[in-house]
Amino acid sequence: MKKLVLGGVAAAMVLSLTACGATNKDSGDGKDVTLTFSTNVVGEQATALEQAIKAFTTETGIKVDFSAPGESYEDLMKTKMAANELPDVFTTHGWSVARYSDYLAPVNDQPFFSKIADQIKPVITAENGDVYVLPIDQDIAGLVYNIDVLESAGVDVDSLTTWAKFGEALAAIKATGVTPLHMGGKDSWPIGQYGDWVGPSYFITDDASNQREALKSGTFDEATWQRVGGMMADWVQAGFFNEDALTADYASDAAAIAEGKSAFGFYGNSFIVDARATNPDAKLGMMPIPAASATDAPSLIAGERIAVGVWKDSPRKDAAFKLLNFLAKDENVQAIASASGNPAGLKGVTSDIGDIQTYIDKYSAVRTFPYFDREYLPSGMWDVMCATGSDILAQKPDAVQQAALTMQQNFKDKF
Amino acid sequence: METYPEAKKGEAAQAASPASPPAGRAARSGGKRRRRSRGLGAARASINAFYLPAVALFSVFVVYPLIRGVWLSFTNWNGYSQTYRMNGLANYQRLIEDPNVHTAFINTIVYGLGSTLLQNVLGLAFALLLNNRFRGRTAARTLIYLPVMIAPLIMGYVMYFFVRYNHGAFNDILGAFGVAPIDWMAEGPRAVAIITLVNTLQFVGVAMVIYLAGLQSIPAMYYEAASLDGASPWRQFRHVTLPMLVPAITSAVMINLIGGLKLFDVIMALAGGGYSTASLSTLINRTYFGSEAAGYASAIGIAMFLFIMAVSAAAQRYLSRKEVAI
Amino acid sequence: MAAIRGVGRGPKRSSWWKTVLAIGIGIFYLLPIYLTVNIALRPATDTRSLWAPAKSLYLGNFATAFEQGRIGRALVNSVIITGSCILLIALVGAFAAYPLARRRTRVNSGIKGFVLGVMMVPPLSILVSLYANMVQLGGVSKFWGIVLTITAFELPLSIFLYTNFIAAIPPALDEAAAIDGAGPVRTFFSVILPQLKPVTASVVILTGMHAWNDYQFSLYLLQKPDMRSLPLAIASFFSQTTSDLNAATAAALIAMLPAVLLFLFLQRYFIRGMVDSALK
Repeated sequence: MKKLVLGGVAAAMVLSLTACGATNKDSGDGKDVTLTFSTNVVGEQATALEQAIKAFTTETGIKVDFSAPGESYEDLMKTKMAANELPDVFTTHGWSVARYSDYLAPVNDQPFFSKIADQIKPVITAENGDVYVLPIDQDIAGLVYNIDVLESAGVDVDSLTTWAKFGEALAAIKATGVTPLHMGGKDSWPIGQYGDWVGPSYFITDDASNQREALKSGTFDEATWQRVGGMMADWVQAGFFNEDALTADYASDAAAIAEGKSAFGFYGNSFIVDARATNPDAKLGMMPIPAASATDAPSLIAGERIAVGVWKDSPRKDAAFKLLNFLAKDENVQAIASASGNPAGLKGVTSDIGDIQTYIDKYSAVRTFPYFDREYLPSGMWDVMCATGSDILAQKPDAVQQAALTMQQNFKDKF
Repeated sequence: METYPEAKKGEAAQAASPASPPAGRAARSGGKRRRRSRGLGAARASINAFYLPAVALFSVFVVYPLIRGVWLSFTNWNGYSQTYRMNGLANYQRLIEDPNVHTAFINTIVYGLGSTLLQNVLGLAFALLLNNRFRGRTAARTLIYLPVMIAPLIMGYVMYFFVRYNHGAFNDILGAFGVAPIDWMAEGPRAVAIITLVNTLQFVGVAMVIYLAGLQSIPAMYYEAASLDGASPWRQFRHVTLPMLVPAITSAVMINLIGGLKLFDVIMALAGGGYSTASLSTLINRTYFGSEAAGYASAIGIAMFLFIMAVSAAAQRYLSRKEVAI
Repeated sequence: MAAIRGVGRGPKRSSWWKTVLAIGIGIFYLLPIYLTVNIALRPATDTRSLWAPAKSLYLGNFATAFEQGRIGRALVNSVIITGSCILLIALVGAFAAYPLARRRTRVNSGIKGFVLGVMMVPPLSILVSLYANMVQLGGVSKFWGIVLTITAFELPLSIFLYTNFIAAIPPALDEAAAIDGAGPVRTFFSVILPQLKPVTASVVILTGMHAWNDYQFSLYLLQKPDMRSLPLAIASFFSQTTSDLNAATAAALIAMLPAVLLFLFLQRYFIRGMVDSALK
């Protein structure tokens, strides 16, 4: 009797399982290869990527499962790393070296390697000289500003070379009735942007006096971070941030600058693209990030953006590299970079990004530095930067000192 | 779940006469039990085989991962690297001292108990209203249940459109009356209260439906008897409706309580993952993926599991005692 | 609603105020739905107050939902997943509930406690182990992987409801079947199962909603784009930066429709089922 029950139960389970699995038979039946491709980008950029990939399938017959899960991409990838089971090809959202290098196959011997743009190359090169990704575009980031708002306040962007002068400009804009900075603190990561944008000017960019070596060797100076946090606290005090700095979201940052309700955004050029989704006629520009001291000069951030790598343990590596080289074709790089609103990552390819290009050309001589947290902070510090920044925005007592101490402690723990 | 002693249930179904209370019940069911255990010993053993599919699923998908979670809570794993080391009870020690855990713990209690209380009071009120026959009753019932069917994350985003500062639906109304806008979700108790309310209003339909069903199961003759005795509507509610609803209350409270204590999506959509409004669930998420402290997050997860277990067990015990007392 | 008709108390009192009250509650609950529909019907460039009705019948967001979000395919997937889940949750749940309802032993009350405990496991604290497990079993991006996972987590509610319901079925019926020589299996299928229709409606509605709306497990276990369920399709409109809320809302409305239809269809059984299970 017991056996009969067991048999019945097993039969029921098997039946229902095969019923569920039946529609899934088409996946990998034998010889034809199906690659998996995952990306963090969504919207138009994802569409552009997908179109290129479709063209690849048409040309080679290699099928590709294209997946763009959106917001949770990073969490998903961490879980996949934990299971040591990654997509054959995936985008690295700025972390090809710091986080994914152990999982990616070097691309140094690939045909496109020599074409990688000079500005982006150091950013994606590991200490041993290996490069792990095809950079489709590059993030040349400064401050995004609303041209009309600055004009009506009589602010000249080229005079904003230091934070002191920048602060005066903020006051002038505030006097015209516009709250100059819009912070989408509900989403947390916009707060971290402040640290990434302001941090380098205090720690990195001054060739005469900087802490590059100290950070690399594991020392974090909390007094310097107090100056970074202190400036934010001063701006909060002066009312330069929106009233709802902790409850607004990133989308509202983009909307505010598009509608002329804020002056500056601490974001890369995709911010301009996002702002124009709500107001296509917004007059927006990009300028270098001011320096901390009068003896230093403004700088830009050069970062990896849409960069594609191949999982080193992929059982379909040959096909994966075929796809990578297909994506490296000029017309594909051009199409995807245009959709992202950024310059192309390969030499000889010019993306179609309209007025944004004029700013990139204008500041092509300005020094670029990598993203502060990716290059100089241990992994996991980004969230600490966001959390401590939100305490400063909330004007908690001693938030600036606490923020600096917390940063230092976490730096030590995670280094 | 031990909502009601089964013997009583079988009995209630068989013995229509309410006049033969406890003594008869005990004697009868006891007798039955003995008879069954003698006559059907073999069947008794094999009936346990019905557990097998459930047990198999639980072991693979719940128990085994949970045990691994316990193991990880004693490590310093960052959530993705291939290496980690054991660090003993350090994570648990940190948890006791961490102010963010304290805040999340208190918030979780507010979300859990607050929405359970509100959902049950409101759900019962709605059920009492909609248990009458009048025009529009079905429509109202469907509307109240509708939000239950919307993914909580989407519901959260729609509610965010209400409470946001700029272009928020509430502030637009205030603005129409010339009142200055309010930053509804600003740090502090109000944000926690709003999250509790949103969760309540979304899921009050579940409690309502349970109470509606409960009200229908009360025999009309009890009300007729009470009416004949001249009992006021309030006394009828107090002495007939409420006692008869205790089993329904048990179900509704348990379902709401577990849902409220595990609250996640609504908080993420309304307030992001900020520490001041965090529940234990959102805190685990941020600690795990954001701070890359997976070992620590596992420790918080285990602590949360034990905590919810304790609260639910206490609620369960309290309510089943109430039931027996009727 | 035949089930409700039986109650009929106080038919003499006027009920106009109840209608008014119900209309008030109804309007209150309509507000979020009005906003949702309104957002879905306007383009992203429309930055007027959310109360302001859409200027024209703009269907671009729905087009985006279908073309870019592939809501159609996701709908099919969700139906397959939710359907299989419901089937398994009901069947396995009823299986486990049968001995639980029929026999009161120490072991059984331990099992009840365990089932209750499973309801309380925070999914996040086991997610990574679960995923690693699934990779080994080969269940990632297979329908059976997500179906069994959701089933395991929804089973407790199903067992809970079925146990209470089965306990209300007079054991005399089992015994009669046993005397006729039927074993537990035959007894279950011939005596118990036919009576479970009303409670099954409750199980289907309550656990089916969770399966339909599941995001967390699906995100990890359904990575093939062709297998995306509705919540994943909706989430694909959100990223850290570019989010298309209008299209996401349109997609959410489409996702809601089948659930509402199912509710309307089942609610009669549903409410009757609740009477017999949750309340005993």
